Amino acid sequence: MWLPRLSTERLKRDDASLCDGKRPPLVIAGRANNALYVAALEARAQRLGLYKNQPLANARAITPDLTIIPADEKKDLELLERIVVWCDRFSPFVAAVPPDGLILDITGAAHLFGGEAAMLDHVTQKIGQQNFAVAAAIAGTSSAARALAKFAPGHIAAPGAEAAALARLPVAALAVDDKIIAALNRAGLKTIGQVQTRDRDELTARFGKAFVTTLEMLLGQHDQPISPRRPLPDLMAEQRFAEPIVTQDAIVACLLSLAGSLSGILEQRGLGLRRLTASFFRADGQVRRIALRLGGASRDADRVMRLLRERLDSLSDPLDPGFGFDVIRLEAMLTERIEISATSFDSDEHAKHEIQYLADRLSARHGEARVLRFVAQDTHIPEAQSVAVPAEDREFADRVWPSRHLKNDPPLRPLRLFEKPEEINVPFATAPDGPPSFFRWRRAQFDVARAEGPERIAMEWWRNISASEKRTEAASKAQTKSENETAPPRPGDKSEAQYPTRDYFRVETRQGQRFWLYRDGLYLQNGLAPRWYLHGIFA
Amino acid sequence: MSYVELAVTTNYSFLRGASHPGQFVERAAHLGYPAIGIADRNTLAGVVRAYAEWEKLDEESRPRLLIGARLVFRDGTPDIIAYPQDRAAYGRLCQLLSKGKLRAPKGDCFLDLNDLMDFRERLLLIVIPTGLENLKPMLKALGPDTWLAARMLYIGEDRRHLKTLMRFARENRTPLIAVNDALYHHPDQRELQDIVTCIREHVTLDQAGTRLQANAARYLKTPGEMFRLFRACPEAVYETLRLAGRITFTLDELKYNYPHEPVPPGKTADGHLRDLTEAGLRKHYPEGIPAKVAELAEKELRFISVRGIAHYFLTVHDIVAFARTRKPEILCQGRGSAANSAVCYALGVTSIDPNNFDVFFERFLNADRKEPPDIDVDFEHERREEVIQHIYERYGHRRAALTATVISYRSRSAIREVGKVFGLTEDVTGKLADTVWGHHGKGLSSKQVRQGGSDPANAIIARAVHFARKLTGFPRHLSQHVGGFVLTEDFLDTIVPIGPAAMEKRYFIEWDKDDLDALRIMKVDVLALGMLTCIRKAFELITLHTGEDFTLASVPQEEPEVYEMLSRADAIGVFQVESRAQMSMLPRLRPEKFYDLVIEVAIVRPGPIQGNMVKPYLKRRKRYLANRKFVFDYPRPGPQHNQDELKDVLHRTLGVPLFQEQAMKLAMIAAQFTSGQVDGLRRAMATFRHLGNIEDYKPAFVDGMIGRGYVRKFAEDCFEQIKGFGSYGFPESHAASFSVLVYVSAWIKKFHPAAFAAALLNSQPMGFYAPAEIVRDAREHEVPVLHPDAAISEWDNTLEPNEEGTLCLRLGLRQIDGFAEKDALTIMAKRGTGYLDFTDFARRTALSRRALVTLAEADAFRSFALDRREGLWAVRRLPDDKPLPLFETRVAPDQGAETIAPLPVMPLSEHVLADYRTIGLSLKAYPTQFLRPRFDAEGFTPCARAGDLGDGAFVRVAGIVLVRQRPGEGNAIFITLSDETGICNVVVWARLFEDFRKEVMGARLLLVEGKVQVSPEKVVHLMATRLVDRSADLRVLSGETLAPVTPSPRHPRNVRILPPSRDFH
Repeated sequence: MWLPRLSTERLKRDDASLCDGKRPPLVIAGRANNALYVAALEARAQRLGLYKNQPLANARAITPDLTIIPADEKKDLELLERIVVWCDRFSPFVAAVPPDGLILDITGAAHLFGGEAAMLDHVTQKIGQQNFAVAAAIAGTSSAARALAKFAPGHIAAPGAEAAALARLPVAALAVDDKIIAALNRAGLKTIGQVQTRDRDELTARFGKAFVTTLEMLLGQHDQPISPRRPLPDLMAEQRFAEPIVTQDAIVACLLSLAGSLSGILEQRGLGLRRLTASFFRADGQVRRIALRLGGASRDADRVMRLLRERLDSLSDPLDPGFGFDVIRLEAMLTERIEISATSFDSDEHAKHEIQYLADRLSARHGEARVLRFVAQDTHIPEAQSVAVPAEDREFADRVWPSRHLKNDPPLRPLRLFEKPEEINVPFATAPDGPPSFFRWRRAQFDVARAEGPERIAMEWWRNISASEKRTEAASKAQTKSENETAPPRPGDKSEAQYPTRDYFRVETRQGQRFWLYRDGLYLQNGLAPRWYLHGIFA
Repeated sequence: MSYVELAVTTNYSFLRGASHPGQFVERAAHLGYPAIGIADRNTLAGVVRAYAEWEKLDEESRPRLLIGARLVFRDGTPDIIAYPQDRAAYGRLCQLLSKGKLRAPKGDCFLDLNDLMDFRERLLLIVIPTGLENLKPMLKALGPDTWLAARMLYIGEDRRHLKTLMRFARENRTPLIAVNDALYHHPDQRELQDIVTCIREHVTLDQAGTRLQANAARYLKTPGEMFRLFRACPEAVYETLRLAGRITFTLDELKYNYPHEPVPPGKTADGHLRDLTEAGLRKHYPEGIPAKVAELAEKELRFISVRGIAHYFLTVHDIVAFARTRKPEILCQGRGSAANSAVCYALGVTSIDPNNFDVFFERFLNADRKEPPDIDVDFEHERREEVIQHIYERYGHRRAALTATVISYRSRSAIREVGKVFGLTEDVTGKLADTVWGHHGKGLSSKQVRQGGSDPANAIIARAVHFARKLTGFPRHLSQHVGGFVLTEDFLDTIVPIGPAAMEKRYFIEWDKDDLDALRIMKVDVLALGMLTCIRKAFELITLHTGEDFTLASVPQEEPEVYEMLSRADAIGVFQVESRAQMSMLPRLRPEKFYDLVIEVAIVRPGPIQGNMVKPYLKRRKRYLANRKFVFDYPRPGPQHNQDELKDVLHRTLGVPLFQEQAMKLAMIAAQFTSGQVDGLRRAMATFRHLGNIEDYKPAFVDGMIGRGYVRKFAEDCFEQIKGFGSYGFPESHAASFSVLVYVSAWIKKFHPAAFAAALLNSQPMGFYAPAEIVRDAREHEVPVLHPDAAISEWDNTLEPNEEGTLCLRLGLRQIDGFAEKDALTIMAKRGTGYLDFTDFARRTALSRRALVTLAEADAFRSFALDRREGLWAVRRLPDDKPLPLFETRVAPDQGAETIAPLPVMPLSEHVLADYRTIGLSLKAYPTQFLRPRFDAEGFTPCARAGDLGDGAFVRVAGIVLVRQRPGEGNAIFITLSDETGICNVVVWARLFEDFRKEVMGARLLLVEGKVQVSPEKVVHLMATRLVDRSADLRVLSGETLAPVTPSPRHPRNVRILPPSRDFH
């Protein structure tokens, strides 16, 4: 089966707005050698003369108005895998043929649908109902079926009749290197039938033995095996039971022993576990899979077991053994090399691990999105300098906290930063850039004894344009309808009011408290006094 | 209160500063600074720009301009700003920078502190500390005349840092000096500064974080503000004045002197030039030097002597003499203001005989002009490198270097880069950039933004466009000029830093030609001209096959047949007049003599077109051709003046000013401009140099003419015409030099068409037409053309006589796409008495499989009785090029004979298609021939017949798209269609283009419906009303799908009728 528009159909499934027939034709852009090209396109775009592998710039020159979405092969593959799973209903032996095909072994299954032709109809119809364009064919070998599906969809080649069915197909159906196909075309051998008539030695001398093998395979002389559907795990441990097990204790005991043996294999190879899947096969054929993620690579069986138990206890729909599990399997889906490093006596390695373990446990119990950790952000804006991310997300693990703080100097940033700066009342400060001599905050007065500053931090002028400029846009639309007169917003023309610059001061009050204050905006000629805020407290 | 900013980074510290040098100078003047220092990062590239802006300011109030550089070291030394006190120290700074640049790759500069110590003398240094560690020994090493920079940039601890610095400075007895370390002249430029930082760091604004400045403090502040910020240390502000006061150097001091090499010992330059001139004239006029010429030469020599520029002429002579004495000779020709002179003719720099032709030295004879003389010399493009290397050898790398070209952001590159910074995908910016047709778009209009499919009101796009506009014109990097050489007697690296170019053994200075002009430094342009190569190759072929020998000067002059051919617009391949616009002008102008060619070359230019001179001239030309005795009336001044003054200036061009020289003379004579005013007007007219607005001269010009008794309307018209030159004028001297090549190339085409076509093909890439058109034109001129053949062809296209003795053009292997020259040379070397058959050929040449496939694809094995298909099948059978060692023994060295069944016969149409794909043309048939029955059935008119139906007829013409062009910002698109009968010129108006964009840009085979327009001179145009893409019809030829063409604007020469197939090799 061939799904020629898999990528565009994937997008349409996810985003209903793309199904609107009035929007510009959809094209998926891939990137190769630093240039964009058309990786896939919907039928509508093809009718406009665009084609696959066309440089995107050319496509745009022909049809300037396109909906262009970057290619995502991974997502395409995921969808293909899902379709493979879904196709279980037709035959148990289904394999994906990336990027956009599947192959079904229907030996012994066709009669259930009332014959091969009826089955072909049924399957294409069912897939069509899922909004996929599909081309399918049936043949005695997988490669012949593949060629027919693409070049003569709907064809059913009777066993032994592959050669005849394929003869009229173009040589492109040979699924060999493009160069060979081009060479055959140039030689005037444009159909598989014509190639077939050539002497085998003549072909071998020119295209090699592999080509002749491919040709013969296609013609039904050899066959290729179908490869299984799920990706193979890096490592696994499983236990089969003659008598299905039902009790919680037995399950836990089994898991513990599996975790132990997995840990042994991991240790032998110097690996640690990052992702784990536990599969529970029920006697009645149902399978339950539970996936686990670890914050750092580990092969500690106890730790893995603890996490598994946390996970099993917190499942919203608990594991139902039914008539019992006959196989339980632990698969290491992702492993990582563990670097053994010598630790010094006074290091807090252990403490570090404890925090890691705690984060793992909490995340397993409450969900990854609920356990957060701060990481540093590279920006001048104080409140944006840290951001919370899931603790299990190791992507930002090596971010360092920047500091221009010198040894023996008091800290430049307060220990506690208010989430929302609090406005203070400053009746008097030296213009244009002096600190206040006193201020009122939360109804108390503070006299400034010492101050340092200002540290001038300008806001990120390119942010928040949407809010302020939507207004401009709306206003200008109301103002005039004339197209050419619509003045675009004038971004360079920023006023201080829009993105005020802050002058920060570190102040120490007569009482000894230390605050971080700022004046919002510079003193301007117009005489309006700027506002002051308290942004944080030094310890 | 007074202050001088000494740490200024302009946008010539590429992608670091955010203001032009001139903006700093202007701002400094505005703030009342007594001086301003420009100190870019390891470069002096921006100082002349600052100088040029500074010169324009009011002399009374402008600040002094201090020239320096910010030295950035690679050995961890903090940045040091260096200001030379005097000329000698300036030379040392240049040498220091040259040293750093020469050891670094292009565009970089590697400096160590030791290098500075070598050139330390009389440089004033400002150290910009990054910390106080390790500073002590360095300050000690630098010694006196060193300052320590103090900055108040609002980082919070400014005042505490200043205190520490003051203590440190006192301890080390180094004065503190106040700087802003300015990156822009005004705080409003901060946003642009953020953008250039992002471009430099290849990040978006969101990713940039602390790579950006925290605030907008790095601008030029008022003196009052500086004293306020430095209230704890006012002496640091006073130091800026003290430092500035110690600098005496200005750029005016750069004295320039020409190399003395060409003068033999014991002779003066003037004397030597006189000797050479006299010898040259005696050689040119063996029967005696005409009085007119002798007098002219004498006048010129006197002038050259007064101006003291004999060395310049001698240097040019020296270079030209080198080219002339090469074996074989390198063809060359001079042009430019000083080139059209009796002296240059005598020296062999030009071929324009001053006896037959008025030379225009007078333009240059204006003694008031301080400008350096200007001579450009064109050389054969394939051999110019020899000349360049000769110059380096003769004058040495320290005395000869190329000028620079400043590569600036154009709207295309600006929107691409700025878009990236705002996080727009290449997709969106690409669309925006694509709407700028060609490269020199002036800026994006909101209309263009909409055309690109983006909404200009979209906030992010609006911002990107806004800043792209601001960035446009910012310098991006320096590159070498194509051939402008600066040669000096003194070491050049004491005048300006020199650095290596990307090309090996090339060096260039940091200033471009405008900078050199501003400083009045002379240069010689050593340029490459493809037509000279072509002419030399044609001369060689003529000599080889007829025994006749020609040079540019010895080609028979004024042959009527040549002019007759040009008048028929039969000009494909002829220098300068082969473009479509020129070809439609030729039948109207009907050139009859050399000077007509000069006009033809000059008139089809944007200048005369915008100045509305073309139509009046053609009208007068028509009248003149109808009645050669016709006396044109010239407006006259008041009776007290010379009644013929206008006639004297304009009679050569029938009363219409076409050349820059005439505009100048008009201003001088009719409007009574002083030579200073003329000079200003000329500068205002010069392209791309914004040294004054041309409109400023209008009142003086018009009033001047009225004052002499001319009518106001006429005076104003004259000025409008002169203004037309502002965009693009052509000096008569250039036009005359080019016309020599027009005539010579036309002469070769007329009398030696086979040699002409071969030489044109062998000089590619050049000219306007693709090889297919050149070959087609040759065949139309009855030159038999033969297909490239592996057994016979050479790399170059050659001539061979056929049985009747006619010279045929044998296409060379160079015409085959993707075939390497070295493989062709192998074939030629191993050929001996000829190859027996394909196996023999493959064995003896031992070409790579790829090369053999290429030959087979090009159908080059016909001599071995293999057509394209059989050839490929045979090549396929050969073993792979480099077998793995393991399998080597298994490959039989000689394969046995093989008998195979015949392959299916390749239809002719498919052959034609394949010919186009491999050699870009087919001698077998024209693709449209196969479609003719279909076209006839649909009632299409063949291209060549389009005009037969007469003006106003409605026709439908289908043909292959040869050329699509949109000149300038024009509202017409020109398409040239061709079929087996000929070509048809289509005009599509811009409005229609919007509706048929896809067809115009994408079609290979186009059906055009429209109205025929036939001019009285029988020039036929088809004004399109509807276009249909019929490319699909081409499938008939092969049964394959054809990819649409790439629609990016390309040189028509490179546009392929049918592209190389994507599935090749």
